[in-house]
Amino acid sequence: MQPEEVHALPVTLAGQFRRHLPRYAVGLVLLASYQAAQYWFDTRLMQAINAATAGHREQALRLGALLGVVALLSLLVRVASRLVLFNAGRIGEYELRAVLLDRLQRLGPTFYQRVAVGDIMCRATNDLTHVRLLLGFGVLNAMNTIFGLISALAVTLSISSELTWAAMAPIPVLFYVTRRFSSQLYGRQKENQEAIGEMSDMVQASITGARVVRSFNLEGLQLSAFEKVNARYLEKNLFLARLRGSMGPIMQGITASGVLIVFWYGGSLLVQGRITEGGFLAFFRALGRLTWPLMALGFLVGLVQRGRAAYVRLREIYQAEPDIVDGPLPAPPEVKGHIEVRDLSFGYGERSVLRGVSFELLPGRSVAIVGRTGSGKSTLARLLPRLENTPRGMVFLDGYDICDLPLSVVRKAIGYAQQNPFLFSTTAARNIGLPLPECESPLALLTITEAARRAYILDELLGLPDGIDTVVGERGVQLSGGQKQRVALASAFVLGPRVLVLDDPLSAVDARTEHGILEAIDEQRAERGVVLITHRVAAARRCDRILVLDEGRVVESGTHDELSKSGGLYQGFVEEQRIESELSRLGEMDLPRLGAAS
Amino acid sequence: MAAKSQKTMEAYHQEALDSGLKDRTLLAQLWPFMKPHGVWLWLGIVSIALGAGLSLLRPLIMLHAIDGSLKTHDPDLIFWGGMQFAAVALCEQLLQFAQTYAVQVLGARSMADLRVSVFAFLCRLPLGFFDRQPVGRLVTRVTNDVDAIQELFNSGALNAIGDLLRLFGVVAIMLSLDASLSLVAFAAMPVIGLLMVWVRRRSRDAFRTIRGETARMNSNMNEQVNGVALIQAFGQERNKAIEFDGINSSYRDANIRSIKYDAIQDAAIDAVGSVSLASIIVALGYHGASFGTVVALTAYLSQFFEPISQLAQRYTLLQSALAGAERVFGLLQVPDRDAPERTGRAIADGSQEWALELEHVSFGYKPDYDVLHDVSLEALAGESIALVGPTGSGKTTITALLLRLYEARQGTVRVHGRDVTGLGRDELRRQFAVVPQDVYLFSGTLAQNVAAGEVPDLARVEQVLRQMDIYDLLGRRPGGLETVVRNGGSNFSSGERQLIAFARALYRDARILILDEATASIDSQTEGRMQRALEELLRGRTSIIVAHRLSTIRQASRIVVLQKGRVVERGTHDQLLRQNGLYSALHELQFSREGSVPLDETSQRVAAPPSPPAPA
Repeated sequence: MQPEEVHALPVTLAGQFRRHLPRYAVGLVLLASYQAAQYWFDTRLMQAINAATAGHREQALRLGALLGVVALLSLLVRVASRLVLFNAGRIGEYELRAVLLDRLQRLGPTFYQRVAVGDIMCRATNDLTHVRLLLGFGVLNAMNTIFGLISALAVTLSISSELTWAAMAPIPVLFYVTRRFSSQLYGRQKENQEAIGEMSDMVQASITGARVVRSFNLEGLQLSAFEKVNARYLEKNLFLARLRGSMGPIMQGITASGVLIVFWYGGSLLVQGRITEGGFLAFFRALGRLTWPLMALGFLVGLVQRGRAAYVRLREIYQAEPDIVDGPLPAPPEVKGHIEVRDLSFGYGERSVLRGVSFELLPGRSVAIVGRTGSGKSTLARLLPRLENTPRGMVFLDGYDICDLPLSVVRKAIGYAQQNPFLFSTTAARNIGLPLPECESPLALLTITEAARRAYILDELLGLPDGIDTVVGERGVQLSGGQKQRVALASAFVLGPRVLVLDDPLSAVDARTEHGILEAIDEQRAERGVVLITHRVAAARRCDRILVLDEGRVVESGTHDELSKSGGLYQGFVEEQRIESELSRLGEMDLPRLGAAS
Repeated sequence: MAAKSQKTMEAYHQEALDSGLKDRTLLAQLWPFMKPHGVWLWLGIVSIALGAGLSLLRPLIMLHAIDGSLKTHDPDLIFWGGMQFAAVALCEQLLQFAQTYAVQVLGARSMADLRVSVFAFLCRLPLGFFDRQPVGRLVTRVTNDVDAIQELFNSGALNAIGDLLRLFGVVAIMLSLDASLSLVAFAAMPVIGLLMVWVRRRSRDAFRTIRGETARMNSNMNEQVNGVALIQAFGQERNKAIEFDGINSSYRDANIRSIKYDAIQDAAIDAVGSVSLASIIVALGYHGASFGTVVALTAYLSQFFEPISQLAQRYTLLQSALAGAERVFGLLQVPDRDAPERTGRAIADGSQEWALELEHVSFGYKPDYDVLHDVSLEALAGESIALVGPTGSGKTTITALLLRLYEARQGTVRVHGRDVTGLGRDELRRQFAVVPQDVYLFSGTLAQNVAAGEVPDLARVEQVLRQMDIYDLLGRRPGGLETVVRNGGSNFSSGERQLIAFARALYRDARILILDEATASIDSQTEGRMQRALEELLRGRTSIIVAHRLSTIRQASRIVVLQKGRVVERGTHDQLLRQNGLYSALHELQFSREGSVPLDETSQRVAAPPSPPAPA
């Protein structure tokens, strides 16, 4: 399905039902015909038995052959009904999941700060499963139970109404019991999940803290702590075992009591000649058909409740309002990359991060933004391409307020490489080629390797087991922080924006790599505008202008030469980093080694 | 590139751990864990067998009651038949409970034991093992993978025995009741057999695809959510949505396939049952039989089809359990051990004179890259040695070798004259108290943290805090010593965390102290307290201090200067300053400055202490 179609899909439960109405209607007809065929089968079975026991062979043979045909036909109808209705659930699940991703991709930082990733994933898996069961399994069983009840009652009532009422006696009990078990089971399974979550956390903490555990020889204590958690999980497991163990026997016990009633009361009716042999057997069969749908009915109530509750949790995502959306203006024919920031103030709730920041970046020029951790420089970087909720009237691209432009224009024009980059679990090449529509053509490969070379990462990638096609990320080869930064840098190069915003690309690299990256940035400066967020003086000094941020305000601005003599914050940074590089030079220097103990 | 990267992607998604263990070996390895709970196993098996036997009785009871009463027209026969029926049904359900419960208890208890074994095994692995393995994967071994094995018990895989018994029992009884009618009923059997063969393979394939796609789908969505800012920044929403749709739709299609096969299987068994019933009845016209026999035969017929459909499901569960077992037992095969005690000639004990001694030690975290080269250093009992050097010079690594967290590649490490490889793990580490660079706080209370996991003696905790003169700072919090440490200590400042680590070391009261000083700056108020606390801690102990502050260095009796994994200078502070070498250069750059604040935490510089440099 194309992403455009996904966007238009209904997200309400009623909408999903309406969308698949023809499917549900066909399912309804199929189930009705199946149960009608069952009625036909049971009643003709009765006649066939009576004919056979009475010695009417030909009649029995004719009826038997018909029964066989009907059995095979109802096989087809039954398969078709399952396919039509269960697939409705699966297709609904597929569509709801596609819409979920569509919404998640549109949502901005406001949403992601509010809802944790684990929580989102829980809704995308568990909650969606409950909704799917409601849409497919739930609907099928609801319909089937109704038709099954009608069809079975039609058979049994035609045989004996007294016997029917007697046989139905255990049904309310069965319904009540399955209902109870269903909700108990669900509650207990949830507790079980929590217990294993607790165990998971404990093991995780123990492995993360392995160094301390080893140093203080706490292995014994850790083991006894684990045994405690494990015992709690065992206890939950055993409780669940008792519940599961008793569920089957109790439900089957109730069902057996129905069979017993029919056998007992029906048997005496048979002996008294008030019902025929065929009637007796057909009654048994009809009762047997009813057992499963009625048991399912108990579970169905819980299933509907859970499905609706799960849907309410999903709805929170479906109906979340994206905070960053396209502006009203059409895409301008050409973007030059002139950026102007006017009196930009921004904060998260109460906390103010930026206060009245203003600067201008002419096309093809560069500006460095330096400051301590927490000075607001990374937030500023994310505000430029509207990755944060940039306020109106404060950031302008070629004279247009970026909030008025289409998002795609802003983000194509202002490329952003983040400080702690995220890598997808795919090949290094595909991570770098992320901005490309495809990564397989020779041209794309060329672009990717060229960008990797420029970002000073190509040689290291080629050294991986499968070269640039090595899978990296969570499920692949782990890259170091500095390597990840350079992969992100390379993909920003691939994007080829008018303005490149680099968020501290040197924060995790060694001196030699730093030098290489600085040269790469120089190359970029020749081609496009650069906003360089950095804490390194060596990087900042190459830019045309330097802004010094402190507590969200621009406290100094000018060229490196001006600022390094100004006696302000920047001069302090210069001095500090001189010492730092001196220290690292000492660490690298070749010194004569001391001989034996003095 | 396309084909190759596709292949590597698939390999990663399958996350296969090729331990080379055979299915039978895996089951054999499960046995030791089940054996202590063998009673439940036997209880389970016996009740399964009895239950299968009893379930065969019910139709026979119906047969006799119906035929008897039809012949004699005596309603009492029906009544007694009903009573027998009820009694059998009751026993059957009791046995059913007994077997379900017994098997689940067996599973829960033996898997709990397995979990403890796996966790204990993790505790015996050397630290280096964890450097190479993602934590999440190891956690999964203890939790999800063991659960997959347990599912085998919960789902009643042992019932397969009962299914088989019932299957043979049903056939035997049917044949003995009325051979020709039964044969007619079985006429449709080959159809079922063929169908099962046809469906089962396809259904298993679909099931396997579903499992693979589920994993892919969840990890893809998880990544898209985690990397949403990146996707938005590069305007890749559409491409990523198409990528996800590929997985989402193949997940849907695999499910739809599986629905089809399941539906065909269920419906076919049902239909064949009906056809068999119809053929019995037709045959009845030509071949007289009592009505009771017909009732019994139809009842048996439905019992016959039930186990067939369940046997197929159980096989897929067995597969998934074996995959879990393979991962768990694959981990247990790892041969590395943390600090194994050695005996024999390899042990090189030395002079008791030195409390600590490294003799020509070389070491690397990776096989072909050493970070320590031929390092020798030693400390007398009660002496305090400061390790000083630029970042990456190997200071922290030396402390790890003393504790034998890692094994020296060459040379000997001795503690009180004993070669560490000849000491038991606990015997060695009990002699140390460690203050690591990144203080790790356990979940629990403040007092529990000071007692390092032991049951805290509150009076002693208080005494320790008072001795260090920090009781007023830590003990006076609203919760006092019972203040709960929240997620890794976020409710304590970095300075407070350091002081807790100091208190922990003092509480432990070991003979040797290893202190890896934090590089991060600490507010000046805590800084002063820290110095006093440190004095308490050092008193009467041998200590190795990875020092970053001049105040700390000045408490040491000797200084060892390291650079690039080698010892380059050693001596007292004053001697080293006079040498005008690396130490004096470091001192000038690092220790003698005042007041300036680090520009960024990513820079490795160290906050300057408030005290002025000592006169040379």
